[in-house]
Amino acid sequence: MSDDGNDTTPDGSQGNGGIDGTDGTDWRGRGRSVLDRLVEASVFERVLISLAALVLSIAIGVVIILAAGRTATCESAATTYFGVGFCYDPFRVYDRLFLGALGNPINPLFDPLHGQFAAPFREGWTPFNPRLADTMTETTILVLTGLSVAVAFKAGIFNIGTQGQMVVGGLASTLAMLALAPLFSGVTATLVLLPIGLLVGALFGGLYGAIPGALKAYADANEVITTIMLNFVASLVALYLVREQFQDPDSFSTKTNDLPAGVEFPKLVYAPSDEFSVLAFVFVLLLTGATYYVLRYTSFGYDLRTSGLQPDAAEYGGVDAAKTIVASMTISGALAGVAGTVYVVLLYGYFQPGLPAYGFDGITVSILAGNNPLGVVPAAFLFGVLKSGAISIQTDPNVDIPIQLVGVLRGLIILFVAMPEFFRLIGKRANDLGGRSRDRTGGSGPVRSDGGVLGGEGDE
Amino acid sequence: MSEATADAGSDDSWLSMDNSRVLVVGSVAVALVVLFLAGTLFPDSTAGALVDILLLPSTWSSTLTLAVPIALAAVGGIFAEKSGVINIGLEGLLIISAFAAIFAADTTGSLWLGFGAGILASVLLAAVFAVVCIEFRANQIIAGLAIWLIALGFAPFAARIVYGGPNTASLSNSVPTVRNAGIPVVSPVFDSLAETSILGPFQALFRASPTVYLMFAVAILGWYVLNRTKFGMWVRASGENPKALDTSGVNVHRVRYAAVLLSGVFAGMGGAALSYNVGQFTGSGQTMVNGKGFIAIVAYLFGNYNPIGALLSTFLFTMLEAIQTPLQYAGIGVPRTLVQTLPYVGVIVVLALVGRTRIPAAAGDHYETGEDR
Repeated sequence: MSDDGNDTTPDGSQGNGGIDGTDGTDWRGRGRSVLDRLVEASVFERVLISLAALVLSIAIGVVIILAAGRTATCESAATTYFGVGFCYDPFRVYDRLFLGALGNPINPLFDPLHGQFAAPFREGWTPFNPRLADTMTETTILVLTGLSVAVAFKAGIFNIGTQGQMVVGGLASTLAMLALAPLFSGVTATLVLLPIGLLVGALFGGLYGAIPGALKAYADANEVITTIMLNFVASLVALYLVREQFQDPDSFSTKTNDLPAGVEFPKLVYAPSDEFSVLAFVFVLLLTGATYYVLRYTSFGYDLRTSGLQPDAAEYGGVDAAKTIVASMTISGALAGVAGTVYVVLLYGYFQPGLPAYGFDGITVSILAGNNPLGVVPAAFLFGVLKSGAISIQTDPNVDIPIQLVGVLRGLIILFVAMPEFFRLIGKRANDLGGRSRDRTGGSGPVRSDGGVLGGEGDE
Repeated sequence: MSEATADAGSDDSWLSMDNSRVLVVGSVAVALVVLFLAGTLFPDSTAGALVDILLLPSTWSSTLTLAVPIALAAVGGIFAEKSGVINIGLEGLLIISAFAAIFAADTTGSLWLGFGAGILASVLLAAVFAVVCIEFRANQIIAGLAIWLIALGFAPFAARIVYGGPNTASLSNSVPTVRNAGIPVVSPVFDSLAETSILGPFQALFRASPTVYLMFAVAILGWYVLNRTKFGMWVRASGENPKALDTSGVNVHRVRYAAVLLSGVFAGMGGAALSYNVGQFTGSGQTMVNGKGFIAIVAYLFGNYNPIGALLSTFLFTMLEAIQTPLQYAGIGVPRTLVQTLPYVGVIVVLALVGRTRIPAAAGDHYETGEDR
């Protein structure tokens, strides 16, 4: 698990990363400089790879949309290429997906390619439109789940359980706020009850994250498997609790009672009917900054990152590996629990089992961001656009492509980001013309002798 | 899966690993004996009801049927991981083949073609995984997750395009004819024997779907190929000591490709068998596969990379699932949704007890062949 594959691998040498433990004196100082150098060198490359992965996924998406358009049956072709009719027009799909999610900002008269220089923004478009509000709501939650995954991945732990931790945190905070509801009303509900809810969410999400952390630290149980299993357990138990114990007696659907009216993030500039709250987003941005600070500038963050990069060296240098694993899984789970609470408060005001797959999207967000907390924000916005754009697709009668397409894109993006070597190879081919070549085989020795590790030690 | 496996090769952890396995199997056995004694002495108690459930032919029949996709995927996973490529995308292979099998059987009208199409779809996806991991040196875990997520998105996407919903059409006319086919000649004879005797529970074995027999055959074949053939030796060497294999003139990459594709073949059989058993692919939520690919991984870890062991540990998990429905009917007062967590909790408990598995030394590592590319 020395490697989350997304951190700092400019030339594949990260596996052996220069800190070999042969000379233990002052490895920490040397380790830090190596780490810094790797990080500096790779940020630009990481951004490039993420962008390339995105473009490639969208391109493959075009092929899938066209192929699907040949398989489906429709009354009239949506588009025609090379004399062949297709049921779905990929450009209209992507137009809806990306521009629909922003509330159609582009002025139809704005067409610089054809010499039309009207105002770029459509008349009457404001950033405070309901579609963009929806996109930002999704972004707010995705930043949290993305952070949750990123913290664990940075420590070299594959937390696939953000989804389950989010369910547990969301349910626990809802129940806590409902239990305390009679004591508060109006403004005090916002000022006291909501923070309590967020804390309870973080606490229970954190505890649920600590379970697979402890299992990994003390029993060597593969956290990929345990977290996925715990996702199933969380959603089944949540279903049971809501249905059998905390069901809203006045509702036909399976849900808890409504939270009291005051429990909400004030909307500020957005319309009360929109779900997005600028305040919630600012809160999430503050959490992002805090996470970045802790990972980058505290000694705990340093231990966590070194454990992710070089578990053996970290342990040699005095890092308590087991404690670091449990701690990072707890933080990861706590962030997921906060995500669950924010989701409940922002979107519904009650808990309903069967949460959307924000946890799995968090994996993509984090991987796309190179597990960098600051990168999580733009990556989450991109996925917010995709998720909210999926709704624009559904509501547009001219585009009836199944929204599961977004799920396929999600998988493709992860796949491409996971294979930086592919893009390096392309880059190398292009660069070879210029005489610059990179010795790839030199960095990591062909055979690792320290024992492969399920779930890591990936050479990339 | 973790840094602590670095010392897993030592005798000490071998011992503790075997101990925990013995512990699990032993405690299950003791629990069963106690249960049977209690059940026989007090037939009206909860224990009595449980014993009745365990003796039901339908319990055994579900145990076997539920085991098919898990055990087949597990045997596939063993080959991939033994060769040094951890295939965490088994879940995705099951999903894609479960869909493709029904889709092809529905369009061609042939169950055989459908089964083949399921295998083909799984092999193609496994080939993508293999190229990404072996050629482009991707992190195997992340690539495996991607394979899972791609299939999780694609199968319901395709189902919606072809069938207008997340589920496919139902093959309820053709599939049930083979579901309880059993074995020619043997099964009818056994049926008459089992009528009255204590052989009842074994009746399930002789009235099973052909895929159940396929599962047994694949497990035995898998064991044989892995342990008794040259190819099996290459696969094991490729995971344990690729350098040595390379030195002896065998192409490590080629062996790994073969092993990963083989995992695609077996998982494809499993996925096709899964949707054939229901007669339909259901694609809402986590789809009908619902974590079976991940349970398969635990099954072969618990089975210590032995195909037969993986098969037996699969039964342990599917038995937990098989008793759910009869438990409901028996009126044992545990809510259904909570009983449904049993297999997942079982997996976690087992993994916690046998976590210190000795995985192949070079699993997860990329291997660069000696000559420069």
